[in-house]
Amino acid sequence: MHKMRDAVGDAVPTRRGFLILAGAAGASFGFARAFASVEDTPAVGVPAPAPSDLFEPTIWYGIAPDGSVTVNIIRAEMGQHVGTALARIVAEELAVDWDKVRIVHVDSDPKWGTMVTGGSWSVWQTFPLYSQAGAAGRIALIEAGAKLLGVAASACTAAAGKVSGGGRSVAYGDIVSKGSVARRFTDAELKALPIKPVAERKLIGQPVPARDIPDKTNGKARYGIDAVLPGMVHARPKIPPTRNDSKVVSVDDSAAKTLPGYIRSITLDDPSGTVPGWVMVIADSAVTADRACDLVKVEWASGAAAGVSEKAIQDHGASLITGSGGALVVDDRGVEEAFGAARTRIEATYTTSSVLHFQLEPVNALATQVGDTWEIHTGNQWQSLILPTLAKALGVPETKVVMKTYLLGGGFGRRLNGDYAVPAALAAKAMGKPVKMLLTRADDARFDSIRSPSVQVLRMALDADGHATAMEHHATAGWPTQVMVPAFMPKGKNGIAYDPFAISGADHWYDVGAHRVRAISNDLANSTFRPGWLRSVGPGWTNWAVESFMDEAAHAAKVDPLAFRLRMLNGKGGGKGGGTVGAKADNAGSAPNAVGGASRQAEVLRQVAARAGWGTPMPKDTGLGIATTFGQERDMPTWVGCVAKVRVDRTSGNVKVVKLSIVVDAGTIVDPEGALAQVEGGALWGMSMALFEGTEIANGQVRDTNLDTYTPLRIGDVPELDISFIDSTEVPVGLGEPGTTVVGPAIANAIFAAVGVRLRHIPIRADAVRAALA
Amino acid sequence: MSTSFELNGSPVTVDVPADSPLLWAIRDSLGLTGTKFGCGIGMCGACTVHVEGRATRSCITAIGQVAGAKVTTIEGLDPAGAHPLQTAWIEAQVPQCGYCQSGQIMQAVTLLADFPDPSDADIDAVMNGNLCRCMAYVRIRKAIKAAAAGMRSAAHA
Amino acid sequence: MLKRRLPRLLAALLVVAVLVIGAFAAFAWRTAIAPIAPPAAASFAAAQVEQGRILAAAGNCVACHHGSAGALAGGYPLKTGFGTIYSPNITSDADTGIGRWSLAAFTRAMHEGVARDGSHLFPALPYDHFTKVSDADVAAIYAWLMTQPAVRAVSPANTIPFPLNIRALQAGWKMLYFHPGRFVANPAKSAEWNRGAYLAEGIAHCGGCHTPRGALGAEKPDVAYAGAALNGWIAPPLTAANPAPVAWTAAALATYLRIGSEPQHGSAAGDMSGVVHVGMAALPDSDVRAIATYIADGNASATRSAGDAAALARAAAVVTSTTDPDARLYATACGSCHYAGGKPPGDARPDLALNTALWLDAPDNFIQVVLHGIGVHDGAPGVMMPGYGRGFSDADIARIAAYLRRTRTTLAPWHDVPGRIADIRKQSDSAS
Repeated sequence: MHKMRDAVGDAVPTRRGFLILAGAAGASFGFARAFASVEDTPAVGVPAPAPSDLFEPTIWYGIAPDGSVTVNIIRAEMGQHVGTALARIVAEELAVDWDKVRIVHVDSDPKWGTMVTGGSWSVWQTFPLYSQAGAAGRIALIEAGAKLLGVAASACTAAAGKVSGGGRSVAYGDIVSKGSVARRFTDAELKALPIKPVAERKLIGQPVPARDIPDKTNGKARYGIDAVLPGMVHARPKIPPTRNDSKVVSVDDSAAKTLPGYIRSITLDDPSGTVPGWVMVIADSAVTADRACDLVKVEWASGAAAGVSEKAIQDHGASLITGSGGALVVDDRGVEEAFGAARTRIEATYTTSSVLHFQLEPVNALATQVGDTWEIHTGNQWQSLILPTLAKALGVPETKVVMKTYLLGGGFGRRLNGDYAVPAALAAKAMGKPVKMLLTRADDARFDSIRSPSVQVLRMALDADGHATAMEHHATAGWPTQVMVPAFMPKGKNGIAYDPFAISGADHWYDVGAHRVRAISNDLANSTFRPGWLRSVGPGWTNWAVESFMDEAAHAAKVDPLAFRLRMLNGKGGGKGGGTVGAKADNAGSAPNAVGGASRQAEVLRQVAARAGWGTPMPKDTGLGIATTFGQERDMPTWVGCVAKVRVDRTSGNVKVVKLSIVVDAGTIVDPEGALAQVEGGALWGMSMALFEGTEIANGQVRDTNLDTYTPLRIGDVPELDISFIDSTEVPVGLGEPGTTVVGPAIANAIFAAVGVRLRHIPIRADAVRAALA
Repeated sequence: MSTSFELNGSPVTVDVPADSPLLWAIRDSLGLTGTKFGCGIGMCGACTVHVEGRATRSCITAIGQVAGAKVTTIEGLDPAGAHPLQTAWIEAQVPQCGYCQSGQIMQAVTLLADFPDPSDADIDAVMNGNLCRCMAYVRIRKAIKAAAAGMRSAAHA
Repeated sequence: MLKRRLPRLLAALLVVAVLVIGAFAAFAWRTAIAPIAPPAAASFAAAQVEQGRILAAAGNCVACHHGSAGALAGGYPLKTGFGTIYSPNITSDADTGIGRWSLAAFTRAMHEGVARDGSHLFPALPYDHFTKVSDADVAAIYAWLMTQPAVRAVSPANTIPFPLNIRALQAGWKMLYFHPGRFVANPAKSAEWNRGAYLAEGIAHCGGCHTPRGALGAEKPDVAYAGAALNGWIAPPLTAANPAPVAWTAAALATYLRIGSEPQHGSAAGDMSGVVHVGMAALPDSDVRAIATYIADGNASATRSAGDAAALARAAAVVTSTTDPDARLYATACGSCHYAGGKPPGDARPDLALNTALWLDAPDNFIQVVLHGIGVHDGAPGVMMPGYGRGFSDADIARIAAYLRRTRTTLAPWHDVPGRIADIRKQSDSAS
């Protein structure tokens, strides 16, 4: 469905691309040393050394004479242990022991194809590619090993990094050292390679220690902020009053000049338009740059956004919904007729506040010119997006910019937008030496690509039996894809382009009769700040509306909220109006990714209800709330069901989340520990955004810029968690975000169950609960 | 102005203003980058080190405040990176992005020094100052309890 | 009428004035004491020098007489309401220090506030206390000073404006406020009490900070030890008016003065840190106990202790919520160290419900500690607190202050905390 993801998918070398790398119709599996030994592997987070004279006929992995396997990872490591998840796919098929596997995160060489880490896509996209690469390697090694052993290849097997046959065995490392591997695979052969049956898997689905973890407990892990180059100077920016259109009028650094170590202040001239109005304060240390920055006075002519408030943005959003603009993402016929004939019509408006990424490592970048090439040392999720911008900013061809990717001290979508690399690069150009820019926490918040505030209006038509006959969903917010990669926006049914990351989730799997989904870009939001992709993107707030509304509809229909949902998750699709079909052609689902469709969503819902004791009596002011989502996208659904148990203090309005029960169906679980960790973290993110986070735009900037007033969930807030996965052999899909999408509405529905008040705005603050109860 | 103190058992001297944060002396002047910068106001805990054996936020600790003191960072907690808490952290696969974990571990060491058998309330109260943005809190709690149990049985052995 | 009589009236007044000034001059005029050749260090007995070292520490001479040239070399600026006084060099340097001062000259300075050359000293030197120190102890301090290395250093000129800079006027101040005379023991009290009183009233000059001063800077004897504001800090009352929820018993005071912290009351910070870690540190336990005994006798701790158990129970029962935004700020900024989990209060995890600073009438001490922290050499040994001044806004600190005052004490809210924070920030910025 999504052009952006498809573009990504195309650009990742496919089986064909894999072959092309060998320059012929077949790939030759000769393995060379990637690193001399296991011990030479750099610490976690250190970018790979530039390839020198190493012979690497396959770009995805290499085998060293000692038998160690180095797997190249093009995804950013930001806590999902992506290297461990992906490398084990190779290792599984290659038949090597896990302790022989090493992981290297690569630079942004074009040979890797499009580099993006987001959308919970990594495992889903990589699984077929790495499986085939591993299987091809295994076969090549068996054939070469068989020769060395003097037995027929058909009599040999591979296991634990050895080829065995005729009662003897030879290690992969020895086969490689003898240089006797030479094998070509045609495209057809590659496609036909036998992949291990599920029952024989040794690594996939088994608990395997994540490679990146030990270095993250002993201080050795290297993040962007740890990057160092000889002769580098430090920079902290003076951030202008508005994200867009600010111009520097004057710079007065006379006070800063009294500070030993202060070097100069540079007003950036940015041909890429990424950081208008930025002044970089340069010093010989991070501390001096920080303190000098406080002393430098800059006068700006600020953009029009300087007076914009959150309320203005939200009011504008509400008025846009009243109008007729926007893209129709789902547009069944018969919506008006169904509403006209309805016994009951319900409508509700849901809103969400601005949300900060607050990834713990503030954005930073170290830029330097080496020869005629610019190197950017930083942590980034979407190298391919920012490279053209960097090239434009620096006035060089794209091939002259390379990103050296370090570990990310949190991504959550913030580092999909690599805008922070630009000012560092421009400052390095101006200084003629390496410049390391670090934002303070407050700077980071002000420069964040926040999750836009949103307004959504939902309507449902119910017949006399309380069955839905039509549903409308109108959603407006700032659109990150429109602002950053408009070319990646697909067109709606009415021909208007839309940001899938600002509506996905509204195109749900419920049979609601005639369905209409309209996505509207909030232009005031787009011009005030740079909207960002934030963990779970659109589904993080569209489902807030969908699942709260389903609860309201169930109560309006006088049906139990679980039963109400289950009867609509019937696998039927299209519109009952029998009209044209929207994006949701078929709620029955289809291969390969969405086998089972709504029936799998119904199953997670049934299971989670049973685990959470749905329907059992609750103590006073305590309630259960249920919600379900399909994760990120209809094309790659991760089925999630959640029951929240909350206790409400009527006096203070405090909401205590007692327990979250979650059941997930993500198909094959490659990395069970990592999967659980992702759902734990994702669910708590959802809870944090529902109860503890949220800021607001005031005078064109976010009001809360640090932890004194921006208050994410802490360890003491964590409820009991009961998370389980459906045992499945279906296609593996994403896990980084689905947990985030389902918790907020479950909590709001639980509050309603506990004390009978409906909260339609997140974050849900105690005073809002108190006011609703009054 | 120069300030001397002991870092991970070795005497060190840094030549920075007395009100410079200890964090940046450790990271920039002394080159140990395991201690992280997160919020700069002492509220995320990523910069937690030990001063005289107790957890403190190095981002708001002026270097002048620790003149002559013993400072320990994550790199100096255990020569092999095998402090019982580090081992428990690996066993429970705690870190996700890992950025906060040096601070979490350093704070947890002080927690267990003061509360060898910590209740959930003890863990909540002492660890509330350490933000984990990946929200790996379930495993942090699990690892703390596992390490506590291991340390208690080792102490009685 | 008046106009015609005026010249005569003026003439009469002039005569009176001349007579008064003449009398005052006669009173104010003090002779110089002849300079001597600096005495050889070997001329002092080792025991006497050691005794002097202890007493000089107890008097915390270095607190004011330090400077960039050394611990006793002077130049430290004492900011008074009247201008800045730079402390003089009291090393044995012949030209810039007190190397040419005889014991008699030194004793006169300590007991009467008169310099060797006969000029009156500003009462910044607490000779109103030192006058109580025995001749033998003054001689010991002299012996110690004269055996310390000579440092050549000239202090900057004072900025006390005319006419206050006329040294002779100090004689008037003395006439009004100064009561010279050695300490007289109270026979009704124990030897320990008397020893404590001798030290506290004399060389340790506790009243210098803890007793309120009048308009001209003199301690007000009728409200001795009633507590006073000083340099942005509050020197708390040492009397029954001390608001600490757990009584300051002699034992508690002794612990506090010995180690710099007392778990049921708090830590020594600001100037008090030097008093403990420089001053009291030199004294034997017996002397520290003696001072504690003397102070505790004056603060009604014997009767106030009856409320201790209730105060401790109340403190232990405090639970920090994490949903109220102010409580959450406290829990996430302070709880890692200040949570005690119902354990008995300890130095490493100070219980703020028991902390004297929270119970004082003004938030100054609380604000100071939050802004600047407590260094590893202040307060309890090895326990430090970082300063939140750079990271926290005035509003943040005010929220925590109000929250703690509300939940940790039984007292009315503090007034204008943000205003006090701003004042104290300004004061510390100008001091640095």
